[in-house]
Amino acid sequence: MPQLIPTPWLALLIFSWTIFSAIVLPKMLKHSFPDNPTPRSKQDLHKNKWDWSWH
Amino acid sequence: MTLSLFDQFLSPVVCWIPLVAIAIILPWILFPSPTTRWLNNRSLTSQNWFLSQATSQIFLPINPPGHKWALLLSSLLIFLTTMNTAGLLPYTFTPTSQLSINMGLAGALWMGVVILGMRTQPTHSLGHLLPEGAPALLTPILVIIETISLFIRPIALGVRLTANLTAGHLLIQLTSTATLAMLTIMPVTAIFTGILLFLLALLEAAVALIQAYVFVLLLSLYLQENV
Repeated sequence: MPQLIPTPWLALLIFSWTIFSAIVLPKMLKHSFPDNPTPRSKQDLHKNKWDWSWH
Repeated sequence: MTLSLFDQFLSPVVCWIPLVAIAIILPWILFPSPTTRWLNNRSLTSQNWFLSQATSQIFLPINPPGHKWALLLSSLLIFLTTMNTAGLLPYTFTPTSQLSINMGLAGALWMGVVILGMRTQPTHSLGHLLPEGAPALLTPILVIIETISLFIRPIALGVRLTANLTAGHLLIQLTSTATLAMLTIMPVTAIFTGILLFLLALLEAAVALIQAYVFVLLLSLYLQENV
């Protein structure tokens, strides 16, 4: 069975792990998952009124 | 005849380039690195959504200390699904049909979770060798059986993926050879075999995704036991 041929065994193993660690992991790490935006409620508009505090 | 059918799993080398290298490196062109922009294109957004859904699904039942494994297991899922599905295209080589690659992934990750469990909480990890509620008389036999099953896990993990993909590819090759051979002699049978081939291809697409998911799911279960 060709999967049991010992010659490329270690090379394939190390190569697959190398590509996994060098390419896949950094690519998946760069994905960011921002929070879903929450809808603004009407009360928030009235709480912080703009006051001209320096006059 | 059987030996020549397995020849499709020989690691092919064309012009001194091992095709395994191309098969493992090239699919990542399909996965662009996310930009620092707030909005990305459709493919990136859908990949991002899929990654977040898959990660949350896998890590829901795992205790918070195990969530450090999120990057590793979700990247492994993407890696395996990509390798499996890319191998379904004609004239490609499936890296995950090789025992070396699957045993390398399975053995290393299984050993990682077991060593983690043994170092952080040895009593809890060893406690899994005796299931709760078992009769006291069966304790010695059960511990032996559970230890054997513990050590068979990496082999089962690797061989399961290899065997599923190898068997699928072999079946596709057999039915396609049969369809082609019968096309001139017995066309009606060839049409039925062609329908079988079509259904097999659908099955193989499903198996590709499912087997990758099962691999990662089992690893997450072993992690849940040990963390």
